Amino acid sequence: MPQTEIIANRPQRWDVPFGDAMRDSDVDQLLQIEPFRSIDPERFPSALPLRAILKNDTRVNHYQDGGIIVREGDYGSSAFLVVQGKARVVLAGLDEEVLGRQPESKPGFLKSMFRQWRNPRLPEVRSHVASRSELIGNDSQQVADLAQTRVFLQDIPRVLENTRSVVLHPGEIFGELAALTRSPRTATVLADGETVLLEIRWQGLRDLMRRTDALRRHIERLYRENSLRVHLRETPLLSHLPAEHLEAVAEATLFETYGDFQWHETFHSSSSSHSGSSGKATDAVVAEPLIAEEGSPCEGLVLVRSGFARLSHGFGHGHRTVAYLGKGQVFGLAEVIGTSTKNEPVPMSHSLRGLGYVDVLRIPQAVLEKHVFPNVSQQLLDEVAAEHAFFRPEHHGSQAQVETPLLEFLVEQRFINGQQAMLVDLDRCTRCDDCIRACAATHDNNPRFIRHGFRHGSLMVAHACMHCVDPVCMIGCPTGAIGRDRTTGVVQINDPTCIGCSTCAESCPYDNIRMVEIRDSSGAIVIDDSTKQPIHKATKCDLCTDLPTGPACQSACPHDALVRMDLGNLGELSEWVNR
Amino acid sequence: MFIRRRLYSVGLTLAVLALLVYWTYYQKSALGRVSFGTGYVLLAAIFFLALYNIHKKLPTLPWGSSSDWLQAHIYVALGTALVFGLHVDWRFPTGILDLTLATLYSATFLSGIVGLVWSRTIPARLARVSEEVIYERIPMLRSQLCDRAQEAVLETVRSSGSTTLGEFYSRRMHGFFERTRGLGYFLRPNNRLRRRLLAELTEVSRYLSPPEQVTCEQLFAMVRRRDDLDFHAAMQWRLKAWLFLHIGLTYPLLAVACLHGLLAHWFGGGLL
Repeated sequence: MPQTEIIANRPQRWDVPFGDAMRDSDVDQLLQIEPFRSIDPERFPSALPLRAILKNDTRVNHYQDGGIIVREGDYGSSAFLVVQGKARVVLAGLDEEVLGRQPESKPGFLKSMFRQWRNPRLPEVRSHVASRSELIGNDSQQVADLAQTRVFLQDIPRVLENTRSVVLHPGEIFGELAALTRSPRTATVLADGETVLLEIRWQGLRDLMRRTDALRRHIERLYRENSLRVHLRETPLLSHLPAEHLEAVAEATLFETYGDFQWHETFHSSSSSHSGSSGKATDAVVAEPLIAEEGSPCEGLVLVRSGFARLSHGFGHGHRTVAYLGKGQVFGLAEVIGTSTKNEPVPMSHSLRGLGYVDVLRIPQAVLEKHVFPNVSQQLLDEVAAEHAFFRPEHHGSQAQVETPLLEFLVEQRFINGQQAMLVDLDRCTRCDDCIRACAATHDNNPRFIRHGFRHGSLMVAHACMHCVDPVCMIGCPTGAIGRDRTTGVVQINDPTCIGCSTCAESCPYDNIRMVEIRDSSGAIVIDDSTKQPIHKATKCDLCTDLPTGPACQSACPHDALVRMDLGNLGELSEWVNR
Repeated sequence: MFIRRRLYSVGLTLAVLALLVYWTYYQKSALGRVSFGTGYVLLAAIFFLALYNIHKKLPTLPWGSSSDWLQAHIYVALGTALVFGLHVDWRFPTGILDLTLATLYSATFLSGIVGLVWSRTIPARLARVSEEVIYERIPMLRSQLCDRAQEAVLETVRSSGSTTLGEFYSRRMHGFFERTRGLGYFLRPNNRLRRRLLAELTEVSRYLSPPEQVTCEQLFAMVRRRDDLDFHAAMQWRLKAWLFLHIGLTYPLLAVACLHGLLAHWFGGGLL
């Protein structure tokens, strides 16, 4: 009789520490330097002591001169503290080649063919179920993988010629923005001479911040300040501004935050209570935090730094959604220009409201008139105004072709967060399930999505991981098993370190993560030795990153009914809907 | 996008076919034999068409998207009709083997045309139904609906003591909820039964007590939902069944076509 169950130990949070070289003496040394010296260990619970966090969630990295610490555009899940030496933050984009980025290698024809024949017949089979002792034993290998072969910049003076950079000294922290906001690194950082850094994975950083007010305030201040100049420089109106004027703008810029950072916790209940009559939908819009109100006098320019905001226009007794703005987009440009030329405040033509969590910068009108408009040519002003005028009511560009009810639907359900949402055109879908079969064939006979989901007319957003702009599923993961791929940004689950706590599945606002019982290669269900319950693992779409064809679901659809799409890009959506 | 693609594909197909027609007339005018040439083109086209099913079975291979393959499949298949006509010289064959082959080809071609029409029209009809349903879950949903309807009626009978709705349910509606629709409905789905049941329910509602009226309203919704489920089941079954038939015809067609080619060479000579 075949074995039906196999006993194993459920993985725990620190089975695989961030670095294996952290000895007790290293932790003692860390506790002697700031900011750890000022942290009160008594504020940490016995299950989560400060020493254990430092031992398991940090590692010490040594860099030689020119060693690249983080690259602009890469996704990161850790922050860095300069312990010794200096780190140089390069504020201008460097060439991909200089940064050592290699084109991705994909498997060839034969390898792709054979992988399908090796698929097990039973669901959720793991070829090898690693025990805790194995995970701990393999620690050094894991760490070696994490550390990777480092990339060095050659001929640094030439490479950094004509680029602006900032030097960070011991005690300073960087990389916290990407780690905490689940977003790409905004700058490249190099070692300036021999440098020693403490790398803190974000789960540890989060726990340290929760229990140390001073550290939390310090990190939040860095988070606010470090990326401000980068963001301003990336804003079209300010990109050509002389340095001294940009500095003046930066000094006067106001930081504003709307909504809750962990918005997903309240999203489910609020969306279910508001999904009903149109009257309730109006209440939902009104309940959203107001950033700027239609009809009020223009007081300055609003730049969206992270998150999403709803642009709406009063219609009848409600609010009609005109568009949504994401990172890098600006609001109120026409009004600030109008105010400047007419010498009197122009009323805002639309309202802007925060969706979930949104971080904005507000540049006051007076600052714009003093430092920006005198230094910007009329031609650039016209170009920028035209580029950002898509939400003007008289404009009929690509965004206007997305019908308002569809916009309302995408905003209400927060699908705008999806960078790789699965859209199904039900007018073309023959329900043949070729997409499901292709997905299963690619993932050991386990489909990683459900061809079902929210509908708007004949458009369906299926339950497949959307690889969100803000992947809130990552927030609560205790082990860091769910995270972004460093280069592609695809949200992936590292199966061996997933402890099956289902935090990610419960956090996902779209119900796109499934918890499954796993089997070993003989087909036996794996049972936890201590609880005698099956061990679960989180599973979801990985966008078939290892397939040469891209997502198998999309390439397997015979009728062009299924597409993976960035719903933050309304032009792309409009083109697909109106094809 | 689709219009541009269609124009391009139609143009390319017509160009290739025009070349083939020109070649056959040129050969005929030179007193040459065209049957081997057109036969090989037809056989190659059929092999190519059958390869699409292999493509579907190996979705991990980097050999083009399924959508591109389907487009090629459709236009090559449409083109084979002309090649077939040229091959048989526009006369339906009479011999047993040739007749079998021609019938198999015609059946496969026609099933493909029917499938193309269905796959372009049925999805939009399904999308108009309020609920999207996965085919494999329909029996479970039906069963749940049947249980809910029965439970609602029994509860009303228990709580109100009135049996009018209960009797009507057991006489007219229980069978509707419990049984699957017959083959006739699957072949030609319609809403006659739904309309009749809703009309009868409306008729009987004037004799119901207030608690029964409430349950009657629920039954209205349940009848509509059950009918929608049946419609999904019938339409999705149709979309799957034609493909099963189409693919099922392909393999005997390939086998008989190969045999036909072999025999043609054997007895007709002229191996290229």
